[in-house]
Amino acid sequence: MSRPAVGKALAQWGAVFIKEIKDAWRDRRTLRMVLLLSLVQGPLVLLLVSTLASEKENRIDKREIYAQGMQYAPGLQNFIERQAYTIKVPPADAMDKLAAGQLEDAILVVPADFEQRLHTMEMPTIEIYANSSSRGSDTARDLVRKLLQSYAQERVALTLVLRGVAVASLQPLEVQERDMANANARAAQLTGAMIPLYVLIAVLTGAMGAAMDSTAGERERSSLEPLMMNPVSPWALALGKWGAVALLAALIALLTSLSFIPAQLLIRSDVLQALFRYGLADALRFGLICLPFAGAVAAVLMASSIRGKSIKEAQAGNSLVLMVFMLLPLVSLLNDAAEPDWYYLVPSLAQQTLMLHVLRAEPIALWQWLLPSAIGVVLTIAGLAYVGRAMRSNAVR
Amino acid sequence: MILIDKVSKRFAAQGTGTRWQRKGWRLHRTAQPWVQAVSDISLHAPNGQITGLLGPNGAGKTSTLRMLAGLLAPDSGRLEVDGLSVTQERAKAQARMGILADARGLYPRLTARENMVYFGRLQGLSAPAAHARAEQLADLLELRPLLDRATEGFSQGERVKTALARALVHDPDNIILDEPTNGLDVLATRALRETLLHLCSPEGGSKCIVFSTHIMQEVERLCDQVVVVAHGRNVASGSVADLLAQTGQSDFEDAFVHLAFAATPPQIGVVP
Repeated sequence: MSRPAVGKALAQWGAVFIKEIKDAWRDRRTLRMVLLLSLVQGPLVLLLVSTLASEKENRIDKREIYAQGMQYAPGLQNFIERQAYTIKVPPADAMDKLAAGQLEDAILVVPADFEQRLHTMEMPTIEIYANSSSRGSDTARDLVRKLLQSYAQERVALTLVLRGVAVASLQPLEVQERDMANANARAAQLTGAMIPLYVLIAVLTGAMGAAMDSTAGERERSSLEPLMMNPVSPWALALGKWGAVALLAALIALLTSLSFIPAQLLIRSDVLQALFRYGLADALRFGLICLPFAGAVAAVLMASSIRGKSIKEAQAGNSLVLMVFMLLPLVSLLNDAAEPDWYYLVPSLAQQTLMLHVLRAEPIALWQWLLPSAIGVVLTIAGLAYVGRAMRSNAVR
Repeated sequence: MILIDKVSKRFAAQGTGTRWQRKGWRLHRTAQPWVQAVSDISLHAPNGQITGLLGPNGAGKTSTLRMLAGLLAPDSGRLEVDGLSVTQERAKAQARMGILADARGLYPRLTARENMVYFGRLQGLSAPAAHARAEQLADLLELRPLLDRATEGFSQGERVKTALARALVHDPDNIILDEPTNGLDVLATRALRETLLHLCSPEGGSKCIVFSTHIMQEVERLCDQVVVVAHGRNVASGSVADLLAQTGQSDFEDAFVHLAFAATPPQIGVVP
């Protein structure tokens, strides 16, 4: 391409870019909604995650258990009270509420012959009623089960000691757990599944409107036909439009990433508050990870949208694109083993993995930065080549 | 100067899509129905003249102009603008044309001025030149009160005027207008007519103007020469007087009906 031709193409690119930015800026209602969503998404996610975590903490802190027929097991009652737990009698309709999932607890039911059978070593049966569909009930059941196991262990130990047998013969080893995860990694267990996914969703949904307006919108308004009557290079046109959509997507990525900093004030869980450390550097890393993704998403959504004769048609096509991008990160949730290298080849899964590294304060190798970026660039070029070609062929309705 | 020489174009019939037929274990594409939209249409429009492309609805006028604009590739034939082939040197040819499309396609969130400047920049004008040209056109087309208003709420007439200004922003030598008076009231039509007459006069730059229409009065009052098309074919050409003489009619509408509706119906077939 000669120098004046390059200059002309650049001027055309600039004109298209400025026009698209102006157009998006004037669509205030949509812009306001998109930016607002990207700002409140972070705080909302953290509030949600921390509320769930704090519910669990409160249950453990409350140190209360429901028990029915505890008068038949004075030894067990004594043990539980020694552990600083309060034993409460469940309300009359407790079982019905538990079955209906309205009681976030577990109920211990002691049979009338418990103590007698215990003394005669007839292995009395004790029941824990819980509802596995309720997270709170599950937590309470685990707690009661743990208490019962400790009681059983104590009884066995006492019996053996009374008969002159060393406790070590029953429990030949002692297990001590040492958690090697750092504070960030432990916090990431709570936040890791949701925060990166929400950042990716914000970028995808934010870019979709602008991508559709600049492509299918042109077809719907019948402005693509006069536009293509100008001697404009398809690349200048596609790049100019993409520049505006990608800029908006990148802005959303940055805003969403930054929104988690003030959102920390809303954390309701003490543990999460102590563990979750997310600063400006982390937000900038998030932004950097999302930058090539924002570009690729803008190009792919534009390529999908240009096929639609109207915004409505484009929406149908884009919902498929969105679903694919949102489902890919779920692959990591199904895999408990160490992350394989191919994760970095898959858009959105790669970004989620990288953001998880940031949340866990783990180092990121250069190739881990570069590979997803290169994939993003390839996707962007492919998408734009398609958009440039399709704009001319779809100019006539 | 615009030359359209024996241009033809056919399209797949709408709504038929690609169909598949099973032959034994194999699937074969069935022959696709098509419609011959344009068949050997020719037109020569010199500078300083208004050439009308007259035809009933569905005659192939818009398809012909879309081929001239470089939006559709012809199946056969030659399209030239100032000696430049539209198919081989599309960008250069497009730079020499100002086209008012059937779809006016203004950007509703941009002002009339911004619509004009945007197209001016795409045509290669510098930003100051595009702004200066928008000012000139605002005076020529009486657009000044609308210049800084978003085109969202414009009336049909205001839309046509803005779209015309946008098409003329780079001061092209060749102006192509597809049904420019569609939806315009009497006053707006009259103003547009005066503008076109001015543009093809030596004071207006002796532009070559081609416009398609199905309205007789416009042709009678404006055109130096008329090309009548029907069912995608040329059926007659010449001045209004020539066509009246050719058909032996005294009323141009009667002459048009005689020429356009006596033609053979369009070709419909299947592509193997």
